[in-house]
Amino acid sequence: MKDGRSVSVRSAQNSKFEELEERISGVIAAAEPDSFDELALDVFRFQREFNPPYDQYCRLLGVGESPAGWREMPALFQAAFKHASLRVFPEEEEIAAFRTSGTTGEGYGVHHFCSLRLYEEAILRGWDLLGAPRLPQIILVPSPSAAPHSSLSHMMGTLKARARGGTQHWCINTDGTLELDGLRGVLEEFRTAGQPVLLLGTALAFLHWFEALKGESVALSRGSLAFETGGYKGSGRTLSKEALYEMFHQRLGLAAHDVINEYGMTELSSQCYARGLGLPHVAPPWMRAIVVNPATGREVADGETGVLRIYDLANLGSVFAIQTRDLAIRRGGDFELLGRDPGALPRGCSRAADEMLSASS
Amino acid sequence: MTTAERAQGIAEACRDFEHLLGPASAEGFLEWVRSELGHAGVLDGFQAVGGQMLHAVAPGVILHIVSGNTPHAALQSLVRGLLLGSHNLCKLPGAGLPEVEAFVAALPEALRSRVELSTSVPETALESADAIIVFGSDETVARFRALALPRQTFLGYGHRVSLGMVFEDPAFESAPAAALDASLFDQQGCLSPHCIYVADRPEEYAARLAVEMERVQAANPRSKLGVSNAAAISEIREMTRFRMGIGDALQLWESAGSDAWTVIFDAEPRFSASVLNRVIFVRPLPEDAVAALEPARRFLSTIAIWPNRREFAERAAALGASRVCALGRMQEPPWTWRQDGRQTLAPLVSWRGWEGEGTSADCL
Repeated sequence: MKDGRSVSVRSAQNSKFEELEERISGVIAAAEPDSFDELALDVFRFQREFNPPYDQYCRLLGVGESPAGWREMPALFQAAFKHASLRVFPEEEEIAAFRTSGTTGEGYGVHHFCSLRLYEEAILRGWDLLGAPRLPQIILVPSPSAAPHSSLSHMMGTLKARARGGTQHWCINTDGTLELDGLRGVLEEFRTAGQPVLLLGTALAFLHWFEALKGESVALSRGSLAFETGGYKGSGRTLSKEALYEMFHQRLGLAAHDVINEYGMTELSSQCYARGLGLPHVAPPWMRAIVVNPATGREVADGETGVLRIYDLANLGSVFAIQTRDLAIRRGGDFELLGRDPGALPRGCSRAADEMLSASS
Repeated sequence: MTTAERAQGIAEACRDFEHLLGPASAEGFLEWVRSELGHAGVLDGFQAVGGQMLHAVAPGVILHIVSGNTPHAALQSLVRGLLLGSHNLCKLPGAGLPEVEAFVAALPEALRSRVELSTSVPETALESADAIIVFGSDETVARFRALALPRQTFLGYGHRVSLGMVFEDPAFESAPAAALDASLFDQQGCLSPHCIYVADRPEEYAARLAVEMERVQAANPRSKLGVSNAAAISEIREMTRFRMGIGDALQLWESAGSDAWTVIFDAEPRFSASVLNRVIFVRPLPEDAVAALEPARRFLSTIAIWPNRREFAERAAALGASRVCALGRMQEPPWTWRQDGRQTLAPLVSWRGWEGEGTSADCL
């Protein structure tokens, strides 16, 4: 009896998942926000039903199963992924798991997947909405085979579908350092052929590369672009976006408009993009990014600073609403990213949690 | 100015800053000099110290680098430099520290002229200083240590953590003291507790501590927070709630409708740092606290104990605390305290010896 019931629940769970996946896939493909509100409620209810840790959290907050709108759906802090398996499916159905970097010393969080359909569709459709041309890709992160638990590596691998001729060059050694000779060679090859390229990497990888150039510059064919993501967390480095983009200009001859910043994280399935300097990040139509006052949990007024909260329909298998610690300024429906603790006043001599953990990790 | 005259001038200026510096008197300052240098007049000329005639020579110029946003470090360091008779260049955080400026203004002219406050470090200051004292993160200390010249005395004070330990307290009489320690200066100082370890009924103790935190808040409200610090409190509270939901042994008490104070009971004894601004953990005091305190070991400053008895002081000191005090007195170290386990005046002076009148032949 018990086994029979379990199978029938599983079957209902699977069919609900598939039905929602199909509907969200439709929203991603059409890139229209029309059914966001309705879908958000259905996803919320589904996750309440099949994601017990999230459901328990909502209960502790006294939130019912039919909140007035998606803004009222409790958002889980990213750190929750370090403490519980946040998934709507049984462990044996997992097909992929991406890990956070664990740079704060608390161990890493895991984002579990039973299907990568929405994840990959969101990557490709989000990229298409940027309107970037198809170019050969030079990648400064480890390949998916070298880093199977890195969501960023998986994303880069998925973007092969948007590479000209499917051409991707991975320029990272097995020890994680840049393969500088290979990078130089392949860039020279494309430059000689007059072929523009797309360079993709973390801000830290680009910074290391630029420093390794020791003042030299690298010529790229006109029309080349760069994609940079992530901050300098755990590296002990800090650099303003303006300073980094100046380095893109000095070392690679790329104007700020030729550099695309991605805002994403392991705990999400979709990305926000900003092109150049002075423009806000834009969420794709199947995602909402709002800026909230951390003391009240309410959305701040336009132009005010708060913390970023993300509602991502593509996070169907885990948690739809994610609370980040990233600071941002609300710009209408978009946001200007400030990142973690910029300009935070230096503390007194007491060593705060983040600082201490990063020192001991 | 003699040491006694300087001590008098500093003590007068300290009068209006008792809330920050604690009680101060000229005789207390002279006793401090005596305890570290052997004689209250040894900075003024040769004195018989330990069978020798010695004259302690203060650094001509001390550069104080203060990177935190609390005034304590700057004030204490300045007082040390002034008492020694040095000229003091004090680099304050970018936003300045009004309390330090007010303190300098309260000094008599002869001492005031020995202080220069600045929010930047002039290049010449690094070269002209005979001693450099740095308060800040390990990274800040390391950066200035690398810049110091071989002839310069360098004292670095990195960030520290402190905590409380309640060994015996059946009626929770120590809770008001713990709440005061956790609330003063909004927990920003290196002497502020991150956690109170409680031997008996720690969860009940946490509930009582919450009541006392609210009392302190009513009398002495916490400062307004910026977005970043408010976000840190929001995260620790929500993560506690989340973990309670998945069955972790935690309890949460929080100020109603505000983020003024937070008490978290965590049955896990392993130390974790607070996000500060009146967020205090209560944990069970384990038999073997060495393992529990491992994450804090490198940074440990003060352990406040209750009751304040020798047997418990010995246990706390054995855990690596350089200072043990009574709960409720964490923010009131005496002037003579050994900061980070070291004297504060003696490392700055150099010595001149005179093998003449008063010298003991036995010393030779």
